[in-house]
Amino acid sequence: MDSNKKYWKGLEELNKTPEFVEKNKHEFAEPIPIEDVLTGGGLEGRTPRRDFLKALGFGVGAVTLAACQKVPVHKSIPYLIKPEEITPGVANYYVSTYDGQAILVKTREGRPIKIEGHPSDLLAKGGASAQAQASVLDLYDVTRLKNPVKNGGDAGWAEVDDFVVRELLAIKAAGKKIRIISSTISSPSTLGVIADFIKQFPATKHINYDAVSYTGIIQANQNSFGKAVLPHYNFDKADIIVSFAADFLGTWISPEEFTRQYVSNRNSKSLESKKMSRHIQFETGMSLTGSNADVRIPIKPSEEGPALIALYNAISGNSLAGSKGLNNKVADNAIAIAAKELLAAKGKALVVAGSNDVATQVLVNAINSLLGSFGTTIDLDNPSLQYAGNDAEFVEFVNDMKRGDVDAVFFLNANPVYDYYNKDVVDGLKKVRLKVSFASSTDETAALCNIVAPNHHYLESWGDDNAISGYYTVMQPTINPVYDTRQAEQSLMKWSDNPAKDYYTYVRNNWDKNLLAKGGLSGQSGWETLLQTGSIKETVKTAGTYTFGRDLNAVAQTILDHSTALTADNKTEIQLYQSVALRDGKRANNPWLQELPDPVSKVTWDNFAAMSPSDMKKKGLQDGDVVKIEANGYSITLPVLVQPGQAQGTISIAVGYGRTVVGPVGINVGKNAFPFYSLRNGTFQTSASATLTATGENSPLAQTQTHHSIEGRNSIIKEATFTEYKKNPAVGTGKGEGHKEYPNLFWQKYERPTYDWVMAIDLNACTGCGACVVACSAENNVPVVGKDEVRRRREMHWIRIDRYYSFNDNGQGGTTKETDIAKLEDLDHVKVVYQPMLCQHCEHAPCETVCPVLATVHSSEGLNHMAYNRCVGTRYCANNCPYKVRRFNWFNYWNDSRFDNYLNNEHTQLVLNPDVTTRFRGVMEKCSMCIQRIQAGKLKAKIEKRPLKDGEIKMACQQTCSANAIVFGNASDPESEVSKALKSERTYYVLEELGVQPGVGYQTKIRNISELEA
Amino acid sequence: MASHSESIIREPLITGKDITYAKITNDVLRPVENMPGRAWWIGFSVASLGACLWVFAVSYTFWYGIGSWGLNKTVGWAWDITGFVWWVGIGHAGTLISAILLLFRQNWRNSINRSAEAMTIFAVICAATYVVSHMGRPWLAYWPLPLPNQFGSIWVNFNSPLVWDVFAISTYFSVSLVFWYTGLLPDLATIRDRATGLRRKIYSVLSFGWTGSVKTWQRFETVCLILAGISTPLVLSVHTIVSMDFATSLEPGWHTTIFPPYFVAGAIFSGFAMVQTLLLVTRKVLGLENYITMFHIEAMNKIILLTGSIVGVAYLTEFFIAYYSGGEYEQYTFLNRFIGPYWWAGCMMYGCNVLMTQLMWFKKIRTNIPISWVLSIVVNIGMWFERFVIIVVSLHRDFVPSSWAMFYPTWVDVSVFIGSIGLFFTMFLLFIRVLPSIAMAEVKLILKSSSEQAKKKLLEHGNLDKEQVEFYKESLTSFDSVDITDYQKL
Repeated sequence: MDSNKKYWKGLEELNKTPEFVEKNKHEFAEPIPIEDVLTGGGLEGRTPRRDFLKALGFGVGAVTLAACQKVPVHKSIPYLIKPEEITPGVANYYVSTYDGQAILVKTREGRPIKIEGHPSDLLAKGGASAQAQASVLDLYDVTRLKNPVKNGGDAGWAEVDDFVVRELLAIKAAGKKIRIISSTISSPSTLGVIADFIKQFPATKHINYDAVSYTGIIQANQNSFGKAVLPHYNFDKADIIVSFAADFLGTWISPEEFTRQYVSNRNSKSLESKKMSRHIQFETGMSLTGSNADVRIPIKPSEEGPALIALYNAISGNSLAGSKGLNNKVADNAIAIAAKELLAAKGKALVVAGSNDVATQVLVNAINSLLGSFGTTIDLDNPSLQYAGNDAEFVEFVNDMKRGDVDAVFFLNANPVYDYYNKDVVDGLKKVRLKVSFASSTDETAALCNIVAPNHHYLESWGDDNAISGYYTVMQPTINPVYDTRQAEQSLMKWSDNPAKDYYTYVRNNWDKNLLAKGGLSGQSGWETLLQTGSIKETVKTAGTYTFGRDLNAVAQTILDHSTALTADNKTEIQLYQSVALRDGKRANNPWLQELPDPVSKVTWDNFAAMSPSDMKKKGLQDGDVVKIEANGYSITLPVLVQPGQAQGTISIAVGYGRTVVGPVGINVGKNAFPFYSLRNGTFQTSASATLTATGENSPLAQTQTHHSIEGRNSIIKEATFTEYKKNPAVGTGKGEGHKEYPNLFWQKYERPTYDWVMAIDLNACTGCGACVVACSAENNVPVVGKDEVRRRREMHWIRIDRYYSFNDNGQGGTTKETDIAKLEDLDHVKVVYQPMLCQHCEHAPCETVCPVLATVHSSEGLNHMAYNRCVGTRYCANNCPYKVRRFNWFNYWNDSRFDNYLNNEHTQLVLNPDVTTRFRGVMEKCSMCIQRIQAGKLKAKIEKRPLKDGEIKMACQQTCSANAIVFGNASDPESEVSKALKSERTYYVLEELGVQPGVGYQTKIRNISELEA
Repeated sequence: MASHSESIIREPLITGKDITYAKITNDVLRPVENMPGRAWWIGFSVASLGACLWVFAVSYTFWYGIGSWGLNKTVGWAWDITGFVWWVGIGHAGTLISAILLLFRQNWRNSINRSAEAMTIFAVICAATYVVSHMGRPWLAYWPLPLPNQFGSIWVNFNSPLVWDVFAISTYFSVSLVFWYTGLLPDLATIRDRATGLRRKIYSVLSFGWTGSVKTWQRFETVCLILAGISTPLVLSVHTIVSMDFATSLEPGWHTTIFPPYFVAGAIFSGFAMVQTLLLVTRKVLGLENYITMFHIEAMNKIILLTGSIVGVAYLTEFFIAYYSGGEYEQYTFLNRFIGPYWWAGCMMYGCNVLMTQLMWFKKIRTNIPISWVLSIVVNIGMWFERFVIIVVSLHRDFVPSSWAMFYPTWVDVSVFIGSIGLFFTMFLLFIRVLPSIAMAEVKLILKSSSEQAKKKLLEHGNLDKEQVEFYKESLTSFDSVDITDYQKL
């Protein structure tokens, strides 16, 4: 519809005035001075205030937004096709074997993150050593070889295989010798592969070469009984143990197993039945074992032989030719006492010696034979296969090389260039045509080889082991090989043209044919069962009794000659030992082990010369003074450390340090002491006589504990003698001494009906080995800080083992005060006590009240929590903690270029436990009682709709403890193991009088000594 | 504070002849209205270098973490909290002078309160920087404040003495600042009235439109009294609360009920020593001898002697209680101060604070300017060591001997401390350049009653007790700003 209505906006429009018409031509009624603005004048014009503010506002806003940091992007790739068995967030456990011990490997999302002992393991029954715990970190070592190496350059496997096979065939044709040098192999399948290799190349000989050798014992058994075996010792069957320098709790043969056995006669259960074994130790340096002994007598290495002769004489009633009393009156008395007690316990006695000298071990056999130990405490019929090294064979090999008779040599887990006592190996290797090392990262020997065919890490490998005769364990891979490595057995099979197509098939065949049947298994189902259980045990043969019947006079003469040789020029005697953390040094690149304090000296990241306090005073030396030590034509400089209990006139040095070709962690840590070894009567000897000269330098050692006496503070350490204990089990705890109980005026008592998590630690079971420290670090992502930071007293360990010395002052009881100790004349007779110390989870925690931001609070289950995200880092809580267990992140250890040596790279960080956050710089941390394990355990019970079972949740420290010194559980359940343990009359709480009500109870240390010796 | 005649036996608070209101203004404003002299420039250069060192060391700490300090697992606080308590303590004299002495009508405070209050503010700033920089995560320094937040129901821990500290220090700082600034108003107006150009504009803004009317003065007096009333409890509360950081803990050597009074006395002790250190130099350099006289110096020395002796008694009490309690850790801690590895720190503490201040019993020493100055520094060294001994020497050997450790400072620790002194002096030197270092208005109040010339007028009038006159004359002999010959003929 048309409309002719007209709308107008104003009279001007209606009237169409000329002004309006003119104006209406433009869009805007008034002209906009765009031209003015854009030509020169406009731009130079002053900005009006409003515009300025607008621009400023916009600019600041825009810049602020632009400057906002982007949220870091972490790419995580979901499983598109979910692998069977893997559920993100849920750990899988696989059985495997470490050093012949059955273990469980915890994997998360396909990567192994923790090693745990297998509860049905024959050796440690669920315990695991610090080395086993730390071995998982080696898998993620970035310095591992990523591919084979030929003549120092990267090569492919095909190239290497071609080369090796060609060479081997040429050598075979030339009829020259081929040698496989390995540290002891007890794996039946590996031995099978080697046997097959030998069949193919008959000029091959396999030589077991152990850096720390037990040839002396094996040879002595051959000489004494015609059985060249390393016996299986039963410390649990011994009521009295006399050890001559055998560190059986720390490093000797099978320490985890021996710890379990040893403690079974000394723990709560044993004490409650009024039974406790007695342990007398004669040794030079203070070893872990010596520090646990009831009676410890310091003797020089040269006195060890004469002391054994004296003991033999005392027990047999004869007198061996040439034997005379020791110059050491204390030792003489101790020998007499030991002999009497050993005889009284005939059949339940055990004498062991750490010496690698055949004559000495023959004498020990004679003594044990007199005591009826064979068949009871010593088992020669189910021998240990853990060490089979043959020193003489290796020396012969070195001579063969030097003569140019050897044309091919394979090094499997052996590093003689580092740990052989002289440089003949280096000279000899120059004459060898084909040198192959299976080292997984370049070591001293691999550096001199033409071919390095890097072996898998054991967590990437198939295999098996056989630590004790009749006990077979299986090894299975828990991750695909990380690098282009190949298992050594596979390489040997390939080069010897083995019919089995790969090593897995070989292992399967071997088990199907030879081993499964021993455990009553067979076929595929048997194999699958084995992969679930991890081990098979053959029926144990009855241990036979053996009687020693040889003439000992010649033996005694050899021993005495050795002793005379050591003392000939009246120099300082050196004793070489393995440190509990690093042992023979093969794991030197492992930061967890380097930072694990030595149990006795508490030194990390170094070896040192341990010296007795009186020698230090005589020579005017201070801790850390560097001395030059010369012996056997070799010299090193090392800082000295005062070691109470060290025999006077001796020093002890740990081997396993001073690696020169190794990753960044282990390089230049300490000095190599292996060259102080010597060869005598076909075995390596661990003592020498040396001259010491002070260099005038001082190099402070990184110790985690620098004050060594308890200062008479008996509310921290409580101990008693076994005699006292038998009269009153609560002796020393202060119970029943009539202290008035004061009513609790200030604090509410919280009810904890369901869970009240507590812990009990038996000081009489703890040997102080420190495996728990590494287990805790692995479980809780505890950072490694390095030598300098430890020196600044900043190690991060959530659990530590405190070690205190006390001194016997002429039988007048323990002297524990620094000022009194300074006045003592006799510092040889020292007693040691260990105390694992961790957050006590106090019911009335002093740390909780002082935190300004409530970052540390109490849980309804009796735990002291730490909320890292809330912590601002005032450190007030750490200051107010009477136990000093809180640890502060001084630096950003996970992302600070100055800590590059340790765990500061993406690859190594894959070992982290994803259930535990890593802590940022400036945040306090401490033992959480493995809260992630408690949560996981509770969750599991909930999913399975059942109550939580006692013992189902285990702390990392508890789990790895071969001595079972730590019990964790629910105090609200009166039937739980921990409730029972805490009911023990020996229970006390550290610093109980402060009223903080700790959640960790300790059981008194009991020493089996008569009052006179105390 | 009306003008009235004052007894002749009271020493004059303002010396010099021909002192007029105008002369006071001229004298006090000389540094403010003129370009600074060489001494100021030298002092300022050194101080600002120190301040730069502080900026560098604190930035270094923030960048790398607290690990750049020498702390360890056993000694969690050392130079940081030592410095914090030291600075807070120093601040206390200012508040005492401005508040308590005002309430007690101690007119001699009028000459020194301005500088002392300024010192308080700068000292608290120095202390506050330590509070932030000692934190592991300083960027979260606002978390100890009870702010509403989005974290859920997270609140601060009202049980924690550190939270009390936050309240105490922030209240203290704000009240001190307000009190100081209020007192400045009439003097700012004086500067404004004499200034021209930009300075006049700035000072007129700063003086809040002060008119000088009777009503203004009346309100000013009232506000000052109210603020003095508010500040007075703070003098006692702040250091009481600081001491509770220690006293409420379990640590032997900290867990002591005597700490609150002992800390307050110690704070006033060190504060007066710092005022003495500053003013003995300032009065000479700025030529203010007529306003800050020997009477002031001696009065402050007497306070130093009193508080030093209180501190000494507290030390003895601690030792007695350690002995009497029979607590083995407590006993060891106190023994350790003398026979432990830090015996020298203990000796510095007891020697400087107790033995040296006892010299003040002698009038000759109290009125000797160089010795007073040296002693004032000795006191502050002693008080620094007192906090070091309490904090480090207690912590380094407490309950469990396995954790006993030594503390060794790093260059960062030392730089932060020396830098904080630089920062303090930088602020103080800027202060005396732009603001009157003596409260002119308040000094003018007492000119007609308590000045030397007023007293002289009394003498000239006669009718005074001879003995009293002799006493007065005798007292003047120790003044370095009085020409004693004038009095021989009287």
